[in-house]
Amino acid sequence: MLKVNDLNVYYGAIHAIKGVSFQVNEGEIVTLIGANGAGKSTTLNTVSGLLRSRSGSILFQDEDLSHLPAYKIVSKGLALVPEGRRVFLQMTVEENLEMGAFTQSGSLDPALEQVYAQFPRLKERRRQVAGTLSGGEQQMLAMGRALMSSPKLLMLDEPSMGLAPILVEQIFEIIQNLHRAGTTILLVEQNAQAALSVADRGYVLETGKVVSSGTGAELMASPEIKKAYLGG
Amino acid sequence: MVFFSYLFSGISLGSVYAIIALGYTMVYGIAKMLNFAHGDIIMVGGYICYCSMSYLGLPVLLSVLLSMAVCTVLGVVIEGLAYKPLRQASSLAVLITAIGVSYFLQNAAQLIWGVTPKIFTSVASFPMPGDLNSLGLSSEAVVTIASCLIIMVALTLFVNKTKMGKAMRACSEDKGAAQLMGINVNKTISLTFAIGSALAAVAGVLLCSNYNTLIPTTGSMPGIKAFTAAVFGGIGSIPGAFLGGLLLGIIESMAKAYISTQLANAIVFAVLIVVLLVKPTGLLGKAVPEKV
Repeated sequence: MLKVNDLNVYYGAIHAIKGVSFQVNEGEIVTLIGANGAGKSTTLNTVSGLLRSRSGSILFQDEDLSHLPAYKIVSKGLALVPEGRRVFLQMTVEENLEMGAFTQSGSLDPALEQVYAQFPRLKERRRQVAGTLSGGEQQMLAMGRALMSSPKLLMLDEPSMGLAPILVEQIFEIIQNLHRAGTTILLVEQNAQAALSVADRGYVLETGKVVSSGTGAELMASPEIKKAYLGG
Repeated sequence: MVFFSYLFSGISLGSVYAIIALGYTMVYGIAKMLNFAHGDIIMVGGYICYCSMSYLGLPVLLSVLLSMAVCTVLGVVIEGLAYKPLRQASSLAVLITAIGVSYFLQNAAQLIWGVTPKIFTSVASFPMPGDLNSLGLSSEAVVTIASCLIIMVALTLFVNKTKMGKAMRACSEDKGAAQLMGINVNKTISLTFAIGSALAAVAGVLLCSNYNTLIPTTGSMPGIKAFTAAVFGGIGSIPGAFLGGLLLGIIESMAKAYISTQLANAIVFAVLIVVLLVKPTGLLGKAVPEKV
């Protein structure tokens, strides 16, 4: 479904992503793990069009996205839940969700109902300004907002960042629910333990390169990865 | 009775400021830049309307619409040629460019229309009922105030109820996130300039109808005052621009009437300084609520 090939991204003179390749098949949960600064978010931001690659290809359903601006990529069926949530704090919960469906025409009600069914808390707070929500609720809103475009591939950038353990658990449960409902997921996480335990496959990034890959279970069992990322 | 006359002229002047301030505040809210050429769009609006009525002999309403259309195009062209290439540049570079555009427009107007003041025939002149007239309420003031109210209501509805309006608010908060929603940020910024410039044309026609003269620098002082009004009310806030404009107009009119004509402008800016000392975000500006 998504095939990233030999991707190179620069920040000015800094070579941030050095020939990264990975792929996500339909129906999978794939995770990119790695330390802070390994290039995980840069990779997602490049796939979603917020950053430009210098070379390499990003094929989504056999179409190269690497030269499309971010606002055109959503309608191809990719949605990114960005790092730090980035909900529109001065807009209401429902307005945020409406923005998520900006590229959709027709009635928003079915999509809204679906999101509210997944996140009942958002329905309770639909008229509330997003800035008044708690961190966990904002994360749910960011996810709900991305789902409003009915994406084929949902990309999540550090959804557990800054959340209490109980909320992290909830967020991962929701990710699994979405997966079961048929959404393909590309997940970037520093919380490697949690990410690998839900993922079908994973890639480990280190200073802009893929250094190892495998199924979630394989990676969890690997001694180097245990040592480097799983605190054991 | 004289008091009412000053009050009405203050509200009328304030309405013009408010219409201009709306353009300032919307552009600031979305492009995060101070478009100092905004005041000169007002002047262009005035000249276009003048030419349309005096040289082409078009009816008033058509002339106003023509002036709005020309200013809309002008605003979008200025944004595309002068500001868009500077999207990644420092805000100082953008500010200096805006000042440059302002001088460019003034000098271009001087070349085209000369420095001799044009006598602008009011577009809003009609007989008022006698008792209103004796209170000092002119027909121009009525039209100005009504226009301002209509614009204010329409703009509020647009920004809060329509998809494009909401997209504008989304862009003003977070351009990156807005792009992720599929919003074309460049197009949204152009639209904002288009709306702001059309409003500036209306403000120009109303201003000239109230004062009857038109010179290439007609827009600069009202432009600066309206900018002050936008900051006064809380820059980025639409109701703030409205409130700031009205208050500024009333304060200016009252200061002229009861304190000193020479000092009126100084008083206006002194009030701004005091407000900003007490409430740095302006009257209706608020710090973004943030909870993590």
